Amino acid sequence: MRINFWYISSFIISLFVIIPILTVFSSFFENTTNYYQVLKDTFLLEYILNSVILLLCVLILTFLIGTGSAYLVSFFEFPFSNFFKWALILSFAVPPYIYAYSLTAFFENYGTAYTILKNLFGEANYNQSIPKFDGLLGVILSISFSLYAYVYILARASFLYQSQNLIDLGKNLGFTKFKTLYSIILPAARPAIVAGLSLVAMETLAEFGAVDFFSINTLTTGIYNSWIAFDDLAFANQLSFFLLLFIFALFILENLSRKRAKYHFNSKSGLKQKQKIQLSGAKSFAAFSFCFVVFFLSFLFPLSQMMYWTLKFPENLFDLQIIKLLTNTLYLVFLSSLVLIIFALTSNYGNRVTKNKTLNVLSTLSISGYAIPGVILAVAFITFIAWFDDTVVKTYGFLSIKKVFIGSILGLVIVYFIRFYSLAFNGIKSGYEKINISVDESSYLLGYSKRKTFMNIHIPFLRNSLLFVFILISLEIIRELPITLILRPFNFETFATTAYISASEDLLEAAAVPSLFLILIATFFIMVTSKYILRDKDE
Amino acid sequence: MSNNFFEINDVDFNVSGKAKVKNVSFSIENEGDIICLLGPSGIGKTTILRTIAGLEKIKKGTIKLNGKTLSSNKINVEPEERNISLAFQDNSLFPHYTIEKNILLGSDRNKENKKQKLNLKEIIDLLDIFHILNKYPHEVSAGEAQRASLARSLLSQPDLLLLDEPLSNVDQSFKEEIQVRIKKILNQLKITTIIVTHDSYEAFYLGSKCGIILNQELKQYDDPYKVYHFPNSVEVVNFLNRGILVPAKVTGKNTLENLDLGTIEGNFIKEYPKGSIVQLLLQPEDLEHDDKSNLKLEVVDRKFRGTNFIYTLKTSSNTLIPVFVHSHHIHQHEVDEKFGIKRPIHIEHIVCF
Repeated sequence: MRINFWYISSFIISLFVIIPILTVFSSFFENTTNYYQVLKDTFLLEYILNSVILLLCVLILTFLIGTGSAYLVSFFEFPFSNFFKWALILSFAVPPYIYAYSLTAFFENYGTAYTILKNLFGEANYNQSIPKFDGLLGVILSISFSLYAYVYILARASFLYQSQNLIDLGKNLGFTKFKTLYSIILPAARPAIVAGLSLVAMETLAEFGAVDFFSINTLTTGIYNSWIAFDDLAFANQLSFFLLLFIFALFILENLSRKRAKYHFNSKSGLKQKQKIQLSGAKSFAAFSFCFVVFFLSFLFPLSQMMYWTLKFPENLFDLQIIKLLTNTLYLVFLSSLVLIIFALTSNYGNRVTKNKTLNVLSTLSISGYAIPGVILAVAFITFIAWFDDTVVKTYGFLSIKKVFIGSILGLVIVYFIRFYSLAFNGIKSGYEKINISVDESSYLLGYSKRKTFMNIHIPFLRNSLLFVFILISLEIIRELPITLILRPFNFETFATTAYISASEDLLEAAAVPSLFLILIATFFIMVTSKYILRDKDE
Repeated sequence: MSNNFFEINDVDFNVSGKAKVKNVSFSIENEGDIICLLGPSGIGKTTILRTIAGLEKIKKGTIKLNGKTLSSNKINVEPEERNISLAFQDNSLFPHYTIEKNILLGSDRNKENKKQKLNLKEIIDLLDIFHILNKYPHEVSAGEAQRASLARSLLSQPDLLLLDEPLSNVDQSFKEEIQVRIKKILNQLKITTIIVTHDSYEAFYLGSKCGIILNQELKQYDDPYKVYHFPNSVEVVNFLNRGILVPAKVTGKNTLENLDLGTIEGNFIKEYPKGSIVQLLLQPEDLEHDDKSNLKLEVVDRKFRGTNFIYTLKTSSNTLIPVFVHSHHIHQHEVDEKFGIKRPIHIEHIVCF
């Protein structure tokens, strides 16, 4: 084995990400305070039940919305079907907590729904007849409408690559459209749908903003409380560990149920452009309505609610230092993306050129950070720095490092790095998988060194993948709440934290302006790269 | 110390630690020589090229170029430092660059090369790729991509050029013309080349020497004429599919006796004691058709191969013998008919085992 620059850098990067992740997992075996006993006697069952109900409902809803809309836009032509194809991913711009603010703002007593009814039909006591989407139902709707796009994107990509021959075969056997859907199309897309649902599951269980806003006790809020109230990180970890076990159990079950079925098809025939079916009449209207309702509820509704409030209470617009928030948000986005991309790229290339098994295992482990809720990572980071400061730094008489890492941009970027490293690493890896190893070899044989191959051959080739990874990370960071909230420097606010703080102070009108800006920036990022997200260039 | 330009000495060629071809030794005497390696698919020909290029390491033996050791148990010069170019069999063009840019990357290497500069236009014309210059690799056919890859390798003007099945995807109609052009340019530029192919005619035409790789060994390394006419083992005979082996008894300095065919005359390439029993190699061109002959064999099959027919004839001892007959031959024989063989049978080179 040759120890070279690429090996060492990849090794260090992977190790840097793994150490905090391992710290989180290892504290699973540590002793906890008596908070566990207290919780066990009181709310633990409620936490678990709420989490399970939330997870199952969100999974069912995102499956129905995501797969349903992906099926319609992939296989049928109907009015605005091309528009919906990309419009349906705009829900990514609305994080669950902002959706939760919108739901509350619209349906609350004397809220927007009330105002609309009053303006239409005059003064009356409408509050009683307006349904209330709060509590667990509110959380389920907020998360589902925000996250269904994961299922939509992956299911649609899978539909896109499905073999036309297979669908033709269904027709030949006299299958109805519905039978073709459930006996051919859905089973073939199963791995993609499951991958989408697994992302939804991880995000749901890690969701903090919306759950906290509706005061629902789930394992995630339990984790947060166990740290805030009892300073018991070990127990917080144990809860999150349960959470992860629960997710893994679901996917092992799914995997077992597949038995030996294969889901891969001949990609050559699969790449053939599928003939879309032209819908007309009632069917066309139904398909349009379904997509429009999803688009309206997931994007237009929260956007218009936030716009309405921003216009209704314009003073909030002037109270807020928009430019400052914008620069703070973009500063974090660019800095973190840059760091993540540079390191993930280096690590990927290191893995590629060294072909070292240890490095491979390390990299695989290092991408598990995404499965750990942001709250946990932030708390673990603080605990680790505090421990390191007390036991190592001070012992040797150095100045405290707490201020350097806690409540600083550096600390924030480090934890973002650990949390989103898997996104960057996997995004670049999938780009790398398209570069045949003989391309590298050809480059060496043309006299290019490893560095020159990396700079002149790989980076230009990976340009689109890097852009895609950048947008993905940016979206995550723009929407990210718990890590930013816990680790941000004093007086350093982003659109997400400002919205959260206002909402938690029951000032939803004030939360509207930062929420609106957050949605607009995220929408801009999505629109710029919708082509890559939807993989339309392959069509 | 030998003065060979390129030399492989007792090398085991490995893939994932397992020896694919063992104890290989051969050399290229002069700069500018072209040699070909022939062998069935999966035998390890590509592994040999990859190892020479520096993409695989060796644990035994040495590989030397121009007197400098490139690979040994202790030395492994990195591929980028060897100035050896390998044109892969599959498309290894950079997918994000146009064909033109891909080809031009080849010239980067030899900016300071003192060799005779190769004209880009010349090479584009030579390989007939002008029409694809602005296209991307995925927009061209496999044959065109292969020619572009070849152009890139040629343009890099390496000390040693390695071509892995360079024309396997090129249309048959165009193949021979390209072969002529490649040979001409390689000779003109004096680029030492090792070509791997499974097409024996391609190897015989392009190579000044041919190596036959079979059963993990380099079985024969010789002039194409000798490989063709004087195969040194039964394996080589079977691989080249050049005929069949029939039992015969050596009856004199220039004669043998076969039970079905009678006396056979010719020049032995190796001496055998009188009376010894040998396996005689009978090649399709060794026997001549003669209707007047009293040596008649039964036709069991007739294949039309354009310039000739290949008759498969059955002897009284049920041995099947192939015989070439010019396809303009008016007198054709159907299956089950009798086919006369000219006597006495004279074979120019008698090869026995």
